[in-house]
Amino acid sequence: MKKSFTLFVLSLLMAGSVNATSTDHRSMLMKDMRTMLDAMEQIQRGGLYSSTEDMKTGIKKLQGTLKTLESEEIKFILPKDQVYAYKFAQKTAHMLRLYSDDMIVSIDAGRMDEALEDYTQLLKQCTSCHIRIRNW
Amino acid sequence: MDRRNFLKVVAASATVMAISPSMIRGNLYAEDGMLFKAYEKVQLVDAAGKPIKVSTLAKEVTYIFNYPHASTPCMLINLPKPTEKEVALKSESGESYIWKSGVGKERSVVAYVAICTHQMTHPTPNDSFITYVPTAKKTMAYDKSGIIVCSSHLSAFDAGAGAKVLGGAATQPLNSVILEHADDDTLWAVGILGSDKFQDYFKSFRPELKEFYGGPAEAKKLVSISAKTVKLTEYSKEIIQY
Repeated sequence: MKKSFTLFVLSLLMAGSVNATSTDHRSMLMKDMRTMLDAMEQIQRGGLYSSTEDMKTGIKKLQGTLKTLESEEIKFILPKDQVYAYKFAQKTAHMLRLYSDDMIVSIDAGRMDEALEDYTQLLKQCTSCHIRIRNW
Repeated sequence: MDRRNFLKVVAASATVMAISPSMIRGNLYAEDGMLFKAYEKVQLVDAAGKPIKVSTLAKEVTYIFNYPHASTPCMLINLPKPTEKEVALKSESGESYIWKSGVGKERSVVAYVAICTHQMTHPTPNDSFITYVPTAKKTMAYDKSGIIVCSSHLSAFDAGAGAKVLGGAATQPLNSVILEHADDDTLWAVGILGSDKFQDYFKSFRPELKEFYGGPAEAKKLVSISAKTVKLTEYSKEIIQY
């Protein structure tokens, strides 16, 4: 009886810990998404107020959120019915990195048209992923 | 050429342009509404430079070649059955045009620009989310296989009917590559049919094209003489198909 009780408690603890991990991943994703939104707003504000510093800060903030999306952890974060599409989310993260890297190069070279085009593409990547993953 | 003849040539050219202004852009709109743009005729060759012959093409395998620009990927497929004929298609801006059919003895060989008309997903050396789905495989994009699927947003295109849209978010067919099948069984690309998005593609993927082709000028270069044709599995490290 004692053994059975111990097993029951252990399994409860394990289930709780799996659930907690899943919740942790979800809240991490939500936090990352909020940071991404904040970063995109900052880049846009920088563009509209001609502040390259604001733009660069926004880019750095955005890039800080990409690690999770680029890694295998993404499988734990995506909604259950979209886990199979994790490669698509990873590709989106890759493209976000590519455009944001290019944006810094364009800003440093004074090619603001190209930098703003990069911003447009960043936004397009965000909406493309939301259309796909969140069945928008 | 004397002055009179020169003036005659100028007058004749002006008349042609006045009658058909589309010739200035290089787009030819035939009376039946067909939309076609001719490019240099190039021969499809394998990785070793040997001409591709229709009889050697594996069935239901996606091959990739770049045409008409150095960075615009196209897919070549030998379908399991003859294609439809004289398929009426429509671009997203409403222009009608006719896709004649596949080529080869069985009329089963087709080529399409492998840039999805929805959000321009295309094969890169890293990965490909767009491919032909053989009849034996399943796809989430449509209830039948033997079609082209863009797995980014699950658009489905009819490979045997000018890549017309079967489902998903795409609003116009994939552009077709017009092929010529020569008497010696070789294949040649001669032009593009449909409303292309090449300029949008160059603009949208500038950083990526810089990475893979060195810069916009190199990416936009027109393909000349021959186009290297390899299996998609050799072109892209990873193929993602849902």
